Amino acid sequence: MRKARDLIFGTIAAVCAMAALAVLCGLVFVIARRGWPAMNVSFFTEQIRLVGASGGILWNLVGTVILLATAFLACTPFAIALALLERVWLRSHPARRWLRIALYTANGLPSIVFGIFGFIVFVQWCGWGKSWLAGGLVLAMSMLPTVTIVLIERIAAVPARYVEAAAGLGLRESQIVWAVLMRQSWGGLITGSLLGLARAAGETAPIMFTATIFAGATFPRAIAESPVLTLPYHIFILAQDSFDPAVGSKLWGTALVLLGLVFSLSLAALPSRLRIHEESNV
Amino acid sequence: MTRAFSWLLSLGALAALALLLGVFAWQSGPVWQHEGAGYVTGGKWFFRQHEFGALPMICGSVVVALVALIMAAPLGLGAAVFIAEYLPRRSRLAVKMLVELLAGVPSVVYGLLGILLLRDWVYETFERFDPLSGDTLLTAGILLAVMVLPTVVTLADDALRAVPATQRRAARALGLTRAEAIWSVCLPQARRGIGAALLLSLGRALGETIAVFLVVGRQDNNLPVQLLGAGQTLTSKLGGSETNIAYGDPLHWGAMMGLGLLLLLLTGAVTLLGSLKGRRDA
Amino acid sequence: MKPLFTLALSLAVVGSAFGGTLKINGSTTVNLPVAEAAEILRAEQKMDIQVDTQGGSSGGISMLGDGQVQVGMISKRLSDDDRKKYPQVAFKETHIGEDAVALIVSKDVWDNGVHTLTKVQAKDIYEGKVTNWKELGGAKSQRIAFFNKEPGRGTWEVFVHWLYGSPKAAPQVSFPEVGGNEETRNKVASTRGALSQLSSSWADGKRVFALALVGNDGKPVEPTEANIATHQYPMSRPLFVLTNGEPAGEAKTLVEFLLGERGQELVKKHGYLPLKALKQ
Repeated sequence: MRKARDLIFGTIAAVCAMAALAVLCGLVFVIARRGWPAMNVSFFTEQIRLVGASGGILWNLVGTVILLATAFLACTPFAIALALLERVWLRSHPARRWLRIALYTANGLPSIVFGIFGFIVFVQWCGWGKSWLAGGLVLAMSMLPTVTIVLIERIAAVPARYVEAAAGLGLRESQIVWAVLMRQSWGGLITGSLLGLARAAGETAPIMFTATIFAGATFPRAIAESPVLTLPYHIFILAQDSFDPAVGSKLWGTALVLLGLVFSLSLAALPSRLRIHEESNV
Repeated sequence: MTRAFSWLLSLGALAALALLLGVFAWQSGPVWQHEGAGYVTGGKWFFRQHEFGALPMICGSVVVALVALIMAAPLGLGAAVFIAEYLPRRSRLAVKMLVELLAGVPSVVYGLLGILLLRDWVYETFERFDPLSGDTLLTAGILLAVMVLPTVVTLADDALRAVPATQRRAARALGLTRAEAIWSVCLPQARRGIGAALLLSLGRALGETIAVFLVVGRQDNNLPVQLLGAGQTLTSKLGGSETNIAYGDPLHWGAMMGLGLLLLLLTGAVTLLGSLKGRRDA
Repeated sequence: MKPLFTLALSLAVVGSAFGGTLKINGSTTVNLPVAEAAEILRAEQKMDIQVDTQGGSSGGISMLGDGQVQVGMISKRLSDDDRKKYPQVAFKETHIGEDAVALIVSKDVWDNGVHTLTKVQAKDIYEGKVTNWKELGGAKSQRIAFFNKEPGRGTWEVFVHWLYGSPKAAPQVSFPEVGGNEETRNKVASTRGALSQLSSSWADGKRVFALALVGNDGKPVEPTEANIATHQYPMSRPLFVLTNGEPAGEAKTLVEFLLGERGQELVKKHGYLPLKALKQ
């Protein structure tokens, strides 16, 4: 009887796991199958033609990469500063606790509010109009908590004896920070950034009011009035407006490319992320 | 030097967070003056007549997110139990990697799947309940359930793994079956962490914009009394055309910003609760 | 914060000095020929043209009014309210073609025998007084699933203009809303008893069907090219590109291209009536 119950319990859990994986893998499969016919070299090297029905998504890909690079560069110094503040400079426990709580809470804020915030501040107040920089900064804001949290975890994992040894050698605090703590933690910064970028790459809501348009933008030559094309916005627009049935395969193709980009970013981050998980949860 | 810069940049980041909240509070000022508390309790939204009541959207957001959680929670917890308690370490890591990878599928891709596949499926499957169309709160709920599923699984798995292995061994040594050990030792001990996982997933579901926008039907002034009816959420309203129309009319814009403020407070509260619950140290 | 803003401002000034980019925003309906014309001008004349469709026609008007774009695309006539909102802007409409708003239904409604609609019937549906196709001549009972075009879309304004004379006079209603043209067509085609407003060129007669509208004389008028050209069909609408004052510079090049033979071919290709067809 107890054995039977044990078996049933295990089976239910296994079925749940199978079902969850089946649903998730199933939808990736659907996208891959529908998007595959669009894949060829010219899809990546040509610009949009015939309002999305022909040509490729070169500038959408370029635009998304520009936004991600901007977000990464803008986010990094702030992430380092916040992580060092939490790990090194803040001495009081309650203050550190509140900083962490603020970070966790900010991490859960919806991306659309960042988008509208960016619209008010960058697009309107700064008078930039739709601009790649506005989009990059908005994405940087939305990924900052993730990057900082991962970096904090990594710095916390630096063995205390390294710090003690460095202090014993008479290094100043700021020297210890760069020569020991950060030196051991660059991987955490990269991992955190990759995770944040993987999420940022697929975001539509933060950039649709701040950075991206449907057609015609190429490489930005200024800050103001310099929008970019992006992959997610392309999908969002074509999902609502595609006159020509030929758009269909291009649309799924774009989704597949976006999925590929997101997966590459998180795949690059996963191994070291899981290592941290394992070490902390033995 | 390092220390000063850390403080400077950190304060800048925290100031940006405060500015975010401040901007929404300030810009929504006109609507609070105009409607008072009726803005939150009012059920009618007709912007041409300058009548703004956000209740249907607040309820819409909550209902859709709860539907998502009710569906994702059992499946996700079951899957997490299987992954954390049954799988050997190596395959556990592999499955967890896969799940975290799938967590990155962008919302616009979910939206595309929703608009082209899920809404038809819901329409046909629930035909006997006579829905007016496939754009329903339930459709949005199901889509969100799939979207937050990986988050539920991976955070619940973390919570279960955080239960010390000695506890498991002790339970087994007392003659409990594996199922009994999980049921009466691991799950109770991981209660807080699992609660946090669910709250954080709820926060994510509340803030999701693009996917919901494409399938929820976007019908104003409808209190979500039946799941198979169209509705509107805070996010689908903010992501829609009214945000463009409203800018320039202080009252209408204030009403839109009020929705942003409500969304911020709602997700902020849920996420804050989740982070406080999840980490005793946080 | 202040030095940041100064920096931002100076960068913005540097940015605008580069200029030379023609920015266009507005209606998704007008977007089709204009975006394709822009592709040609980009390739042949190396012009720098950016096209977006944020907010539909009203987005085109407001962004032109705010000076964020040089050309707006609108699928309706400019109203006095639109002009009043931007008194300092001298809106100039350039007519590039003609279209009509069709009331489209799903196949099952068409098969149920509903092929026409009077103005009163359309009002009754919009005001929620009639909710079943049987009351409108359908053979069997069938609920009406009405999808309303979202506010700000030219299509919606043309529709309520026909029914009520102006958007302001339209009653307060709440229906599920649709935005883009394909979204509308897709949702109507896949929903039983569905009705919505859509550019007539998208009514393909296979997945969605355009109803004939019955005028005061009792004769049904279909949105055919002939009826649109002669304005027999009540919801005929002009397609405009909008500029601040007479089009100049790059905007002029675009407008001239659209009015020229190749531009008019594009208008025709996307199912709208070229200007030539109107004059006959």
